[in-house]
Amino acid sequence: MNRRLEQALECERPDRIPFLPAIYEHKAWFIGETPSAVCRDPHLLTKALLAEYERVQPDALTIGIDVYNVEAEAIGCKVIYYEGENTSVPAIAPESVVFRGSEEVVSLKMPDPQKDGRMPLNLEVARNIMKVLGKEIPIRAALSGPFSLAAHLTGLENLFMLVFTRPNLVHELLDFASEVIKRYGQAFIELGCGVVVFDSQSSTELLSPLVYREFVLPRTRELIEYFHQQGVRNVPLIIGGNTTKMLDEYLETGANNVLCDARADVTEFLHKCSAARRAFRRNMDSTDFLTLSSEDIYHRTVDCLKESNGYPGFILGTVILPYGTPMTALDAVRSALQEYKHL
Amino acid sequence: MKELLDLSQLIEQGQSQKALTLTQQLVNSGLPSQTILNDGLIAGMAVVGEKMRNGDMYLPEVLQSAGAMKASLAILKPLLALEGTKSRGKILIGTVKGDMHDIGKNLVSIMLQGAGFEIVDIGCNADPQRFVSAIAEHAPEIVGLSAMLTTTMLNMKTTIDAIAGAGLRSKVKIIIGGAPVSQKFADEIGADGYSRDAVLAVDKVKQFMDRTS
Repeated sequence: MNRRLEQALECERPDRIPFLPAIYEHKAWFIGETPSAVCRDPHLLTKALLAEYERVQPDALTIGIDVYNVEAEAIGCKVIYYEGENTSVPAIAPESVVFRGSEEVVSLKMPDPQKDGRMPLNLEVARNIMKVLGKEIPIRAALSGPFSLAAHLTGLENLFMLVFTRPNLVHELLDFASEVIKRYGQAFIELGCGVVVFDSQSSTELLSPLVYREFVLPRTRELIEYFHQQGVRNVPLIIGGNTTKMLDEYLETGANNVLCDARADVTEFLHKCSAARRAFRRNMDSTDFLTLSSEDIYHRTVDCLKESNGYPGFILGTVILPYGTPMTALDAVRSALQEYKHL
Repeated sequence: MKELLDLSQLIEQGQSQKALTLTQQLVNSGLPSQTILNDGLIAGMAVVGEKMRNGDMYLPEVLQSAGAMKASLAILKPLLALEGTKSRGKILIGTVKGDMHDIGKNLVSIMLQGAGFEIVDIGCNADPQRFVSAIAEHAPEIVGLSAMLTTTMLNMKTTIDAIAGAGLRSKVKIIIGGAPVSQKFADEIGADGYSRDAVLAVDKVKQFMDRTS
């Protein structure tokens, strides 16, 4: 079993810095398919994950393509899929919100992970991947965070307005969202998978620390504690954007691995994460991997690795790789990782 | 004038109903709509922009302020038209093909409207041809392209190429924005400008409008 990631998450020094590129829609490219085709077909998604493992050799695999849509779709939101050769990423149709604020939260459908939407499909894929790779590397389920799920259910702008006009209702909606996520996560845990919580709609670029602390932090903390009780020791919390200002709150969630996105202050993350003995994933800005030369990517990776300053809880990641990112780009990153192990 | 200062503060605080009532009172008192717009609504939104820039105000609060501004603006709009008041400029804005994210675009629209610009919002998932047709129809001075995904940001170039292919490139300045893009990317795809956030987008638009006026 590749324990590199687990060691970094425990802030023990692994043999080299772990690599977790953010590969979602790009998974489909490995097998010459579109994201819309792959996310709806368990055989294709299994094939895409195996291809990702074979070609990229990440230190963990995450199940899913359009990771924020699955729970919302299972509750009743409509996902726009693209047909033919259109490689756009499936998205929730903005007009398909299922909660406008005039109805009761209890009227929302509590999805059954074994039956509703694409939840069973993703569980089937997790089962397939666990059989083949479960003993080699960590396999993790992608889960929406409570605020991001609530944003899909009611629309982000509406959710922001409700925070002021009907705070109690927002609390109820977030409780409902948390329950959905617990049940979905639990189904993966029973298969032996880990979980990753994604909650970028609650990024500090959108929410103030005050609102985060009142509405989001208690649910996220409870959710992570719940997964810990189910035997998942390491629960990463992934929130994009420059989250430096809210790092204290993120660490308070109990997540032992937070995201230091490309625009965040890595020095601050090093300082606070090492004090709290937590790991963090530093994202490389890979938006120009399509155009940069291998040599430039190699040097950029080395620069990023240098930022670790020898911290054992440092994980190298990327922002979401665009569909079609050439393999030469990822090869350049891996070769820098091999060569520089622990800068 | 104290009432105008009060109005700007109500806008800043997002107090829609009170702002609406005061706007109506100011209109009834015979004050020119343009003065109410500039010294009440735009002044209030300018403070909102400044607070956002300093990290003292976040999106939920900004949306409250925008709601108050829009409610008051609805009273002023027909009067401004009657007075023959021209907007500071017309901005066409949309999220590019394949991208359904609209919060960033909407925020930029709010801040531009709050600064006195006229907005034509063509929505999300707008393919290049939709931008081309809308430019031909509305003749904006500036076009804003938004993308939130690393995969869809590539469609910004396709859109700029389509605008150029339709012979409209020289008629508009193009500004891009969104989480994954940067000034470097803007340069690479031939955009005229990039903005990191909604407040800077207003600065950038003003800069371009000053150059063209």
